[in-house]
Amino acid sequence: MRRVFRMVKREYLASVKTKAFIIMLVLMPVLMGGSGIAMYLLRGQVDTTDKQVTVLDRSGIVADMLLKAVEERNKSAVYDKKTRKKIQPAYIIDISKPDEKDPQAQRLRLSDRIRLGELHAFLEIGPNVRHPEGEQSTFSIKYHAKNAAVDNIRNWLNNTINPYLRKVRIKDAGVDESKADEIMAWLQVEAMGLVSVDEETGEIKEAKRTSEAEAFLVPVILFFLMFMLVMMGAMPLLQTTMEEKTQRIAEVLLGCLKPHEFMAGKVIGGLAVSLTVAFIYIIGGIFFLGKIGLKDFIPFYIIPWFFIFLVLEIVMLGSLLAALGSACNDPKDAQNLTFPAMIPVFFPMFIFMPILQEPTSSFATWLSLFPPFTPMLMLIRKAAPVGIPAWQPWVGLVGVVLFTAFVVWVGGRIFRIGILMQGGAPKLSNMIKWAIRG
Amino acid sequence: MCIVIANAVRQSHNLSVINVLLIGVIRMNVVEIENITKTFGALKAVDDLSLNVPQGSIYGFIGPNGSGKTTTLRMIMNIIYPDSGKIRIFDKEMRGTASERIGYLPEERGMYKKMKVRELLRFYGELKSGRKVNKEVDYWLDKLDLSDWADKKIETLSKGMGQKVQFISTVVSQPELIILDEPFTGLDPVNVETIKNAVLELRTQGATVIFSTHDMNVAENMCDFIFMIFKGKKVLDGTLVSIQDKYGSDTLRVRTEGGISTLKNLDGVEKIADFGQLQELRIAPDNDHQKILSEIMSRTRVYSFELAKPTLYDIFLRIAGPEAKEETDA
Repeated sequence: MRRVFRMVKREYLASVKTKAFIIMLVLMPVLMGGSGIAMYLLRGQVDTTDKQVTVLDRSGIVADMLLKAVEERNKSAVYDKKTRKKIQPAYIIDISKPDEKDPQAQRLRLSDRIRLGELHAFLEIGPNVRHPEGEQSTFSIKYHAKNAAVDNIRNWLNNTINPYLRKVRIKDAGVDESKADEIMAWLQVEAMGLVSVDEETGEIKEAKRTSEAEAFLVPVILFFLMFMLVMMGAMPLLQTTMEEKTQRIAEVLLGCLKPHEFMAGKVIGGLAVSLTVAFIYIIGGIFFLGKIGLKDFIPFYIIPWFFIFLVLEIVMLGSLLAALGSACNDPKDAQNLTFPAMIPVFFPMFIFMPILQEPTSSFATWLSLFPPFTPMLMLIRKAAPVGIPAWQPWVGLVGVVLFTAFVVWVGGRIFRIGILMQGGAPKLSNMIKWAIRG
Repeated sequence: MCIVIANAVRQSHNLSVINVLLIGVIRMNVVEIENITKTFGALKAVDDLSLNVPQGSIYGFIGPNGSGKTTTLRMIMNIIYPDSGKIRIFDKEMRGTASERIGYLPEERGMYKKMKVRELLRFYGELKSGRKVNKEVDYWLDKLDLSDWADKKIETLSKGMGQKVQFISTVVSQPELIILDEPFTGLDPVNVETIKNAVLELRTQGATVIFSTHDMNVAENMCDFIFMIFKGKKVLDGTLVSIQDKYGSDTLRVRTEGGISTLKNLDGVEKIADFGQLQELRIAPDNDHQKILSEIMSRTRVYSFELAKPTLYDIFLRIAGPEAKEETDA
């Protein structure tokens, strides 16, 4: 046991006492939240060059409205009210008469002007947009631009033309125009939690409004944190074991340790690294959320499950990866085995969204009870606001404990032989043979 | 009993007491190998091998590359297991266990390149012995003139220095049985001498040493017993004298005026080895060396001659050299 502990200490310190570890510890949350931060930082980075759009209005009712709307928009949205700095492009609407004789030639001319940079886009409004009937081409609205699909002006046009046309149609139906806003009022269906009894007072508590943060962010953050910790604690074992084998360090170590002690030292060392990072992030996260008054968002009930599943996942995958590493003789072998070995973490990554949306579906239930996927999928189901039956995490836990024990046993047998086997690429048939014969 | 005495002696570090005690005790076998066989696929690496290594001895393993030396050492170390046969270390079968009483220096050096010298030695020593070895590490670093490199990373060491560090890692836990696979390979003469002296000192302190080598001079000069393995089989085992006695005094070393050109086609001579100024003539069995010498004297002027036993180098070549291969092929 002392020897295993010494091996664990070396593995742990070899990972933790590096600059790379400290940098990673700081950078990881930054990278994880990087896209949000980047979006926030880059929100002001827009092209403020004025955008000219030619409108071919065959309906005869939209063009004037657009001219008024764009004027309003340009007054309020183009300059920052405080600094008077230009923050958005001004839209310039240019009304042109549609060429009914040769519309294609007109479209080509306008397209060429866009290509030359004289124009940003042109908009064609069908003649029947007021009452969309008959052939679809007669009531379509088409926006032509270089990058029309992701163009902000298209969104603005959409949100300006449609409410206007609805109002026109309401008026045409003989309804009082002043009622139009009321008729068109959009009411949001609010997301609410379940009503419960206050344990202290016995009173019925108001249901809480469930936010996207609670429903989505908490499970996703925990899920990705586990993914990251597994990548940090288990993943390197494939590479380091292969290196210890090829650099003949394994032979020296096997003169000091039994093979299963050697493997246990490596796996527990990797686990210790992951747990260190997990404690730092989770304690740091609790402290940070408490400081900014978001303590209610901390899912304390899930934290023990997170650690239980994390330990099992790393022991399971770590043993498998160390065993595979012991069968490799060069970095290429290790590279080839990385993806198949990481399926227990990669596969849940591919399917976590449907599972998060429907955590109680039979698809989610059965997959989360399949031991290789249990740690990650059961965690995300348990963290979702929709409650899952209480027995399921426990059954999943029993399954994953048994499966982990099996993987450790098989891994140990493969490791014992593989670590001394030189030459030749690792073959599944050989590994099965080693696992069976020991 | 012997081990207890040896341990007490090693701890006392009193060389005069050691010598007296070691001479006085009846040696037991530290390693007992009985009919072991090891096969890798179609290759029989070790074939029905038996061997006893007495406590306190230096046992030299020789043999050509691929003959089964390293496999045998690994089996003694319990790193791999024999397919059949038994190995007893310190009077116990130790299958599946790593013993803190054995130190092992593998043929290819295995060290963490990013670790510092002192840190690595402490790690290996503690891993082996399960206790702190700080004092022992400093003692050996000083002894092998590596103190200035103690805080340098392994990757900065030269090959020779690396080898010395690996040697320290083997002995720092004060094992009773030290197994060294090619400990002198790649070392310059000064470092060979340093390691040789260290090995001899360890033996004086009571340790039993087994080492494999390709250097026949080292084997001749250092080993109490020599064991040769060839194609997995034991072909020699005993003291140098007993091995040489088997071959008898069949070597005539002569220095003549005419040199090699005057020694050709001599009756009763199996083989001539030419060393320029000196020639070694191997006399065929049942031939009189006096007659051969007379024949040489009739051909040329003889400056000096010596009837000698074959060297270990010569015996090695007779067993494993091209000549032996030709005989085997025939």
